[in-house]
Amino acid sequence: MTVLEPIQERDLKKEQVLMILVVFPIAFLAFGLGSILFQSNPETTLMRGLWNISSAPTVLVTDFLEVGGVGAAFVNSALIGFFNLFLLKRYKMRINGLLIAAFMTVLGFSFFGKNVFNILPIYVGGYFYCRYQRIQMKDVILVIMFSTSMAPIISEISFAHIFTRPYGLMLGIVVGILIGFIIVPLSSHMLRFHDGFNLYNIGFTAGIIGTVVTSVLRSFKIEINPVDILYLQQNKGIIILLIILFLYLISIGLLINTKVVKEYKRILPYRGRSITDFTQQLGYGITFFNMGTMGLLSLLYVLVVGGIVNGPVIAGIFTIVGFAAFGKHPKNCLPIMLGVIVAAFFVGYDLSSTGIIISVLFSTTIAPIAGTYGMGVGIIAGILHLALVTNIGTIHGGINLYNNGFAGGLVAGFLVPIMDAFKKGEV
Amino acid sequence: MRHETKKISRIVDELTTLFLKEDTNEVDFKIKKEPDQTIIEIIDYRTHFEEAYIEQLRGTLNIQRQWEIEEYYWQLTGETDYDEELCLVGVMIDEAIVEKRDGNLYMRLVRYHK
Repeated sequence: MTVLEPIQERDLKKEQVLMILVVFPIAFLAFGLGSILFQSNPETTLMRGLWNISSAPTVLVTDFLEVGGVGAAFVNSALIGFFNLFLLKRYKMRINGLLIAAFMTVLGFSFFGKNVFNILPIYVGGYFYCRYQRIQMKDVILVIMFSTSMAPIISEISFAHIFTRPYGLMLGIVVGILIGFIIVPLSSHMLRFHDGFNLYNIGFTAGIIGTVVTSVLRSFKIEINPVDILYLQQNKGIIILLIILFLYLISIGLLINTKVVKEYKRILPYRGRSITDFTQQLGYGITFFNMGTMGLLSLLYVLVVGGIVNGPVIAGIFTIVGFAAFGKHPKNCLPIMLGVIVAAFFVGYDLSSTGIIISVLFSTTIAPIAGTYGMGVGIIAGILHLALVTNIGTIHGGINLYNNGFAGGLVAGFLVPIMDAFKKGEV
Repeated sequence: MRHETKKISRIVDELTTLFLKEDTNEVDFKIKKEPDQTIIEIIDYRTHFEEAYIEQLRGTLNIQRQWEIEEYYWQLTGETDYDEELCLVGVMIDEAIVEKRDGNLYMRLVRYHK
């Protein structure tokens, strides 16, 4: 039972929050078009890039910066960002921390896995589910946004030459609609496995669905194998863009709450377990400040270990930035990341490789474990996370983009009951 | 409304945990289901909660109803003995009266049906 001092900050209307967020797709669009502008035949380059992105199988790991080029990848992300913000405006949603997390996650994963073709069937499936259950689309839009993590299965069936083109395309779309239809009740149910200690719950749900689908396909001798298509150049323009965007979030935080620097430490005692909506608990000022800070810290980590800021890494950073509105802060993320880094170091992995960098970034899905049980357990959770995440991708063949959410769910479901067994008395 | 009865049970479950764990050993619940709303009335006898905490509780329970969070997270309500789930109760109800009366904590929660 903790009594908290109320936070004083400027009132924000939901339209104003949307305006703050729309800067991201606008910046991506400008950056994407700007990077194509000085090439010969910019229209052809853009259209070909978008086509390559939309027609790629997109299983893990397919980096759109490599598949379609930097310009097309940023335009793809911008288009998906605009589409999702349009839906949030259309359904008059109050922009809470979870919706911010969903938006940023979708934006980030539009650099590796989600494109304008493969996300749409899942939204259609969600719409059919609402019609069937006689509920409103706005009740499920949040889950549907996250559940686009299953989008690669649509692209894989449609474009990986498993089936001949028109049939593959139709089957891919039908499977996508089916996923959209079943994901809402499934994802809600799966929360109970880890009691909200795994923030990327849809990743866990999608891992289960992916395992089922891949197993069915394998029983028909259809094999889905992960790929390794990565953009391997360090693009300074992308780094500068990300720094500007994170400084923008920090500035917005300062504008909304002038005492944000002094009050920022109030975020640190939060465990981060679902649902910890910082926009409700601490206001938008501290939330945006935390998002910007976490973005800069994540980017700094990538650069310090000598990593390349490519599609998967951008997705990792943006997922942290998004969930910095819904549970993550430096204190509960650091022990988990440390655990993964220590484990990777002793196992002999290259810390600067994209695979390990994204494992470190996405491992913060179980930040609530460190927030609840402390530094030591957090580090152990991080070590376990690396062991799982490097082994479970083969189970679903890479069709679940939130592979770390799947691993995180297993770690939390395994570790939390054990930790509770050590609690003494009525607490 | 899907799982309506189960959702009401979980709201009661969460608040039972709060009162018995943090405050008192005697609580009354009255639940009344009407065609267009459900009303939950609670008396937490001889409360030890400070006025500041009651004010905070009032704020938490009076945040806006958020259907999308309810649809996704309702199964977490009452699931553990951590207090994050009180926020879930807040997003699952439309109105909350939370006040101290004669040394007892009185609550009246209203949840509209769509």
